[in-house]
Amino acid sequence: MYKRILTAVNEHLNSEVTARYAMNLARVSGARLYLCFVAEKGMAASTIDRAEEAMKRIFIEAGEIGIEIEAVTETGDPVKKISELVRGERIDIVFASTRKEDIERRFYAGTIARRLSLSLPCSTAIVRVVHTGRIRPREILVPLKARIDHVQERAYFTAKLAQAFGSKVFLFHSPEAASKFFHGEIHLTPLEWEEKLPDDISDFMEYMQKYRIAHAGRSVPGSTGRVIAIEAFSKRHDLIIMGASRRSMLSSILKGNPVEEVLRETPCDMIILKPRVSI
Amino acid sequence: MKIHNLTREEVLRTLVTSEDGLSEEEAKRRLSEFGFNEIKEAKKKPLYIKFFKQFTHFLALLLWAAAFMSFLSEYLHPGEGMLTLGIAIIAVIFINAGFTFIQEYRAEKALEELKKLLPFYVKVLRDGKEKEIYARDVVHGDVILLSEGDKVPADARLIETSGLRVNNAPLTGESEPMLRRHEAYEGEFIESHNIVFAGTAVVSGSGRAVSFATGMQTEFGRIAHLTGAVEAGLSPLQKEIVKATRVIAVIAAVVGVFFFSLGFLIGSNFWDNFIFAIGITVALIPEGMLPTVTLALAMGSQRMAKRKALIKTLTSVETLGSVTVICTDKTGTLTQNKMTATKVWTIDDEEEARESLLKTACLCNNARFIEGQYRGDPTEAALLKAARETIGDFKGERIAEIPFDSDRKMMTTVYKMQDSGFRIQDEKNRASGIMHRVSFVSFTKGAMESVLPLCSHLLIDGKEALLDEKIRKRINDEYHAMMDKGLRVLAFAYKELKENSKFKIQNLKLESEKLENSELESDMVFAGLAGLEDPPRPEAPEAIRKCHEAGIKVIMITGDASRTAVAIAREIGLVKGNPVVIEGPEFIRMSDKELRGKLSEKEVIFARMTPKHKMRVVSILKEEGEVVAVTGDGVNDAPALKMADIGIAMGISGTSVAKEASDMVLLDDNFATIVNAVEEGRTVYENIKKFITYIFASNIPEAVPYLAYILFKIPLPLTIMQILAVDLGTDMLPALALGAERPMPGIMKQPPRKLQERLLNFSLISRAYLFLGPIEAAACMFGYFYVMVNGGWRWGEMLSPNNILYMQATTACLTAIIITQIGNVFACRSLKESVFSIGFFTNRLIFLGIAVELLLQLLIVYHPWGNKIFGTYPISLSAWLVLIPFAVFLLFADEVRKRIRVLSP
Repeated sequence: MYKRILTAVNEHLNSEVTARYAMNLARVSGARLYLCFVAEKGMAASTIDRAEEAMKRIFIEAGEIGIEIEAVTETGDPVKKISELVRGERIDIVFASTRKEDIERRFYAGTIARRLSLSLPCSTAIVRVVHTGRIRPREILVPLKARIDHVQERAYFTAKLAQAFGSKVFLFHSPEAASKFFHGEIHLTPLEWEEKLPDDISDFMEYMQKYRIAHAGRSVPGSTGRVIAIEAFSKRHDLIIMGASRRSMLSSILKGNPVEEVLRETPCDMIILKPRVSI
Repeated sequence: MKIHNLTREEVLRTLVTSEDGLSEEEAKRRLSEFGFNEIKEAKKKPLYIKFFKQFTHFLALLLWAAAFMSFLSEYLHPGEGMLTLGIAIIAVIFINAGFTFIQEYRAEKALEELKKLLPFYVKVLRDGKEKEIYARDVVHGDVILLSEGDKVPADARLIETSGLRVNNAPLTGESEPMLRRHEAYEGEFIESHNIVFAGTAVVSGSGRAVSFATGMQTEFGRIAHLTGAVEAGLSPLQKEIVKATRVIAVIAAVVGVFFFSLGFLIGSNFWDNFIFAIGITVALIPEGMLPTVTLALAMGSQRMAKRKALIKTLTSVETLGSVTVICTDKTGTLTQNKMTATKVWTIDDEEEARESLLKTACLCNNARFIEGQYRGDPTEAALLKAARETIGDFKGERIAEIPFDSDRKMMTTVYKMQDSGFRIQDEKNRASGIMHRVSFVSFTKGAMESVLPLCSHLLIDGKEALLDEKIRKRINDEYHAMMDKGLRVLAFAYKELKENSKFKIQNLKLESEKLENSELESDMVFAGLAGLEDPPRPEAPEAIRKCHEAGIKVIMITGDASRTAVAIAREIGLVKGNPVVIEGPEFIRMSDKELRGKLSEKEVIFARMTPKHKMRVVSILKEEGEVVAVTGDGVNDAPALKMADIGIAMGISGTSVAKEASDMVLLDDNFATIVNAVEEGRTVYENIKKFITYIFASNIPEAVPYLAYILFKIPLPLTIMQILAVDLGTDMLPALALGAERPMPGIMKQPPRKLQERLLNFSLISRAYLFLGPIEAAACMFGYFYVMVNGGWRWGEMLSPNNILYMQATTACLTAIIITQIGNVFACRSLKESVFSIGFFTNRLIFLGIAVELLLQLLIVYHPWGNKIFGTYPISLSAWLVLIPFAVFLLFADEVRKRIRVLSP
């Protein structure tokens, strides 16, 4: 599915960590990896040096594990240049990192990560790096909605990353609590929630079986963003893979935005996947 | 692979840093990437939004609509008193919101306590130079310099150590210092010896560590997040009140609309219908219910405080009564935490061998006897006491120590024994049994599985003999037998130290990590076993029995070995059959599904557990629909305490973090206090049912006059203000007095209340609305007509609101409610027992409540202010007297009902 993977590299440590995720995905997918650094106008020489050193380190590391790799250095607007590269090289997925400063903005609006996610014609994986001690994630938490778009690609992405790191996948669904007007909230046991599992999630699980990925699943009702964060904290998950939010700005303001909430509170690295590849 | 698996070079490469630390420029960049190293509160609903929500629930919305309609009526049709009504309704909304908010409010201070465990300043290397910076500025890749007394600011991987020992108590609950090393580690991350965690403290030594997680992403941040973000959700009572208010609101709205439509059909004018609709709605809403519930809970918490259970959230008072499972610690809660060495075992039971064992226990020990008291760890103090009382003071010059380490589960000391008189055999003389004075001896004590494998000999009949398999089996059998008696068992060994080319005694340093463990702890002489007893609290068996009778499952969670735990559990009656025993390592491997299956068993004990596992147990029990109480005292107990329906902290041994995270603090750390609190909680719920019956019964005499008004076209017998006088005035104190009723005798012999069981069940509603209420309604209509007819009123005659006769009649109607409510308050003191059997005078507050009720009514009837506010007018004594038989009738009618209920199957 992924034959050409691009990862954006810059002077920040988290772009290097992000590149390692891309590198591992490329390894198990047999894909060609593109490292791309775009120097913006007026960027200090020391910053450029630092980014180039990072490129070099990743290049060597990728070479050591036998990945076909290409390094691209450009000058200009990062989004524009990456977009040109994606179209020119027919890239399937782009990895980019986001920083603490970015997520402090509402909907990380105006950030490079956000612009890439909106403008690129391929899939994007925006990576938030918060914990540099968990180098190869052993437990991946995958929060799922009842209706999943691009279920096949999401499952593929998750399975391949799990395969790359030898991880176990924990599927997590946070439905609205069952309630009746006169009874209020109705308590359902995990077994009862399992019986109500949405079809898309069952499909996702079937894909995990197909890819032979060890997995488990559970449903916990409640405020989605909060219960995902609590699950990740309490079970010490090493990585969260979540779908990009499809809520409008108004809906996010009124009802909250689970992706944004988890981004702010995540205890481990987090990948926000926006799939676009047609299979 | 995680950071602890890497070598020092790999760590530096992975985190893109160096031994000289980061540059200032890079540190600044990383600060923008990862943010400040600080503990932040998980984003929660602000307090003002929580308060605002009290004005937007279903019942409040209904009342807002009624208030709005009242103001609209006043505007369109002035002079009908609708303005006063609108204001009164809004006052009711605010009163209810205020009281509900008080119930739910809880000051969250746990996070503040956690923050105190983190340092303010920290030393790091930046650009190769040592710098002191704010701890909040530490970033990933920073090289942190650690020395004795420092607090660790972030999770970091050690790259250099020198005798570094840290106290991990905030994370693990274990107060023993842990030796840290910088070599790569293959085991679990959380148990790794090359990681130092934020919030822990350096006890001795020094080291350098590279930070890899900061702020909320540290293990300490994990505790903070879970403590701050986890919420137990609505309490069972809150859920019931939500349901009850919805039922009441719908009944009130439907009845209002129905009779408005009916009035319209039979030709009443719009405004009469409108006043009626609002009136009947207001009449059917028990305005005083929420304030009374809140006050009853507050009284319950006062009673619990007297029984040494300090309640921090009002709703917890009732939640205790709903508890179905109690997960309790053993040491200090079920037992007295007074360790005594009750058994000393040696293979031959000879004096000499026993003396060697006791000397080992005395010298491999950090407890002290100072000013007539044993000070130190309870286990060590108990061993020192046993040794001193048997062999007297025994001292030597300690030259080195390998402290207790939870990984090794043992400790070793090295002594210079020149003048001590400690005698030991050397290898040459082992067979002959000749003893001689020695210079240096190492003493080891610890867990059996750690110590026995280090031994090659033991003392039998004064001679050292080889420790063969047969003897090992005997020792193991004795070890198991002692544990089966509930004893905590420690093994002891010693060894004469001899110098050789690799091992020089003078190289040993006190508390050095470089002690030659292999030389000190090999080929040792097995001294024997000591069994320590922590006796159960005398109240524990009775409390456990009460729990069993009350259908509450008690799960013991202890760090002790399973045999010891089971023996204690048996002694206090916690288990009778073969319990499911789950040990820590097995627990970690178990899937949630497996654990769920085990937890559904009748008798469950968790052994060799650490506090961090409690949250998982609580979480699974809650998912299964149990109402869970859990005890805890450590910092890392905080998330479990927050997650449980009732988190119970230990008042004496608990940390301030645990106390802040809990719902209840046990002032005496005693399990029996939990059971007392459960009894109080159940009583509170029963009492809430009693006063709701009492309050609801008065809704019928409040509603019936409106029905009569619309159906029979008589002057309105009871005004809305008079209804509010009952609901928010005269009813309040007697209702509160019902909240102070003592526990009924069988209250702890019933199973816990089922989640499906409603507060407003058919039995309660039918008793209030179909039995007690109609008797009161008959009284109030009788009072009304008694005054009207005696005053010369004729059927069909309409009287103005200012007519004295009319005002007297409504006053009589109101007085009838007050008088019959006096009979009702006695009737409601019990649900099925005769009020005379429970003791007519046992609740003095009832009489005080009635006195205040009557006083208020006298003010309403006879004081000009009361007359003005409530539209009343003084009535004659005869009007009071004719109403008294109704109250007596109500009380005795209910006695008959109770008798029939008891007799019927």
